[in-house]
Amino acid sequence: MTMVTEPPVVARDLRLAYRLSRSRSSTLKEFAVNLLKRQVEYEELWALDGVSMDLEYGETLGIIGPNGAGKSTLMKVIAGVLRPTEGRVVVTGHLSPLISLSGGINVEMTGRENIVLFGTLLGRDPADMKERVDDIAVWAGLTDFLNVPVRNYSTGMQARLAFSIATDVKPEILILDEVLAVGDTAFRRKSRERIDYLMGGGTSVLLVSHQMNTIRELAERTLWLDKGRIKALGPSADVVAEYEATT
Amino acid sequence: MGEQKTMRVGFLRVIAILAVPGQAPESTMVNTTELPVYDSAAPRRVYVDVWKNLGANASLIKLLVVRDLTLRYKRSVLGVWWTLLNPILTTAVMWIVFSQIFSRQGDPSVPFVVYLLSGVLLISMYFSQGVLASGSSLVASHGLLEKMPIPPEVFAFTAALAAMANFAIGLFPLLFIQLVTGVGIPWTILLVPIPTFAMLLLITGLGLLIASMAVHFFDVLDFVRVLLQLTIWLVPTFYPLSMVPDAFQIFIKLNPLYSYLVVFRGFVYAGEFAPVWNFVYMGLSAVVGLFFGVWVFSKSMRNLTAYL
Repeated sequence: MTMVTEPPVVARDLRLAYRLSRSRSSTLKEFAVNLLKRQVEYEELWALDGVSMDLEYGETLGIIGPNGAGKSTLMKVIAGVLRPTEGRVVVTGHLSPLISLSGGINVEMTGRENIVLFGTLLGRDPADMKERVDDIAVWAGLTDFLNVPVRNYSTGMQARLAFSIATDVKPEILILDEVLAVGDTAFRRKSRERIDYLMGGGTSVLLVSHQMNTIRELAERTLWLDKGRIKALGPSADVVAEYEATT
Repeated sequence: MGEQKTMRVGFLRVIAILAVPGQAPESTMVNTTELPVYDSAAPRRVYVDVWKNLGANASLIKLLVVRDLTLRYKRSVLGVWWTLLNPILTTAVMWIVFSQIFSRQGDPSVPFVVYLLSGVLLISMYFSQGVLASGSSLVASHGLLEKMPIPPEVFAFTAALAAMANFAIGLFPLLFIQLVTGVGIPWTILLVPIPTFAMLLLITGLGLLIASMAVHFFDVLDFVRVLLQLTIWLVPTFYPLSMVPDAFQIFIKLNPLYSYLVVFRGFVYAGEFAPVWNFVYMGLSAVVGLFFGVWVFSKSMRNLTAYL
């Protein structure tokens, strides 16, 4: 077994500005009027303000912090959905992002169609995905619901489906943004098993959660974000204890 | 600081390996080199990236086009007829209203209904619906774009392709009517893909242009929708060009869509080649439209998803 020399995720001095605005023109008409008045100004909100971190090979890194701390923004920057305004992130390996529960799930489509579509969105071959449908459905416990539109699934069922697809092939990096929160105990136990299995194969996991026991259970290290900055980064037990002391 | 250096060295090594295959330094481990690398600081190339992204996502585009077509058919009793309903109804209404007025003034060698349906198919069904679908594609698929690192141009191109597929389906009733009315199907039908593909490029260009604007300003799509409703009047879709006063004909001919229409009609029922300038104008407008759209799109691309 060869060792990978680069950490799968290397982020340096990430800053990301959302343009918010009193005068942000959301219509073309307003924009034209504002342009004439020379009032095209933006107020910048730094959702990330100098974040540097590494995700090591085969580790689970917990991400915690209050709402609006920049957790999901950081995940989107790492996933390549958003580009950092400043700084740089280098991601080496296949990445399966499960951002805000459903990831690439389309509720209008059936479970079967979603397995093929989401798999293709993750860069896999549609023909391969068609062969994987049954196995994925079995793990998610959704065999009887494969031909039902996902609209009719419960949130827990949707999360199981998305998680099952995203972890079907071992990705090198897995982003779990609040995915485990909606599942029941059985789902959490099964996901825990699968995450352990993936980590054994070298998958690194970024785990965003508000549930401190999930973080303590699964993550070796934890990153505490607050207002776009790193408040603490270290062994989960220490960081979580520190975080809980403040809230 | 040390870590930063490692990162840069690692990145350069990957570049070196990509550039000179087979000359990887021995210290590099095999499984690192086979993995995809995403670097947020990688430079963006205005044109290259769009083509590359579309090529890399070919199987996804295929899947999305098929989904686009089947979703519409599966959900409804009418199935595939939904696609045909719009142009056929439009044609029927216009035929009832205009046939008495225009059929005597137009080209006597072709039945008015063939002239009309061919125009409605190309201008209303293909061009207008394609540009609108492509232009609204980013806003429509924002849910996915916010969660998955899919190049947004994939969705704009998918919508244009789906419009082309609908247009191709719409050709069948036209050919059927040509047979019934005795016009027949000339051999030049084999050349119809030429204006069809030129139109695909034009729609993709305009779609990308509108899509990138629609992300920033939500009223753009309303404005575009109104403009697109006018296109059917701006070119001779249902009226013969000869009805337009000579002094105004130049304004119709200046519209690139006129050239597409003339070339298409020549191939699909007349069995003749349009004047050379129509081909040149069609090709030029397709290429210019595409490159302009891609350029604007690439320039306004930076963190598009932050605005969705």
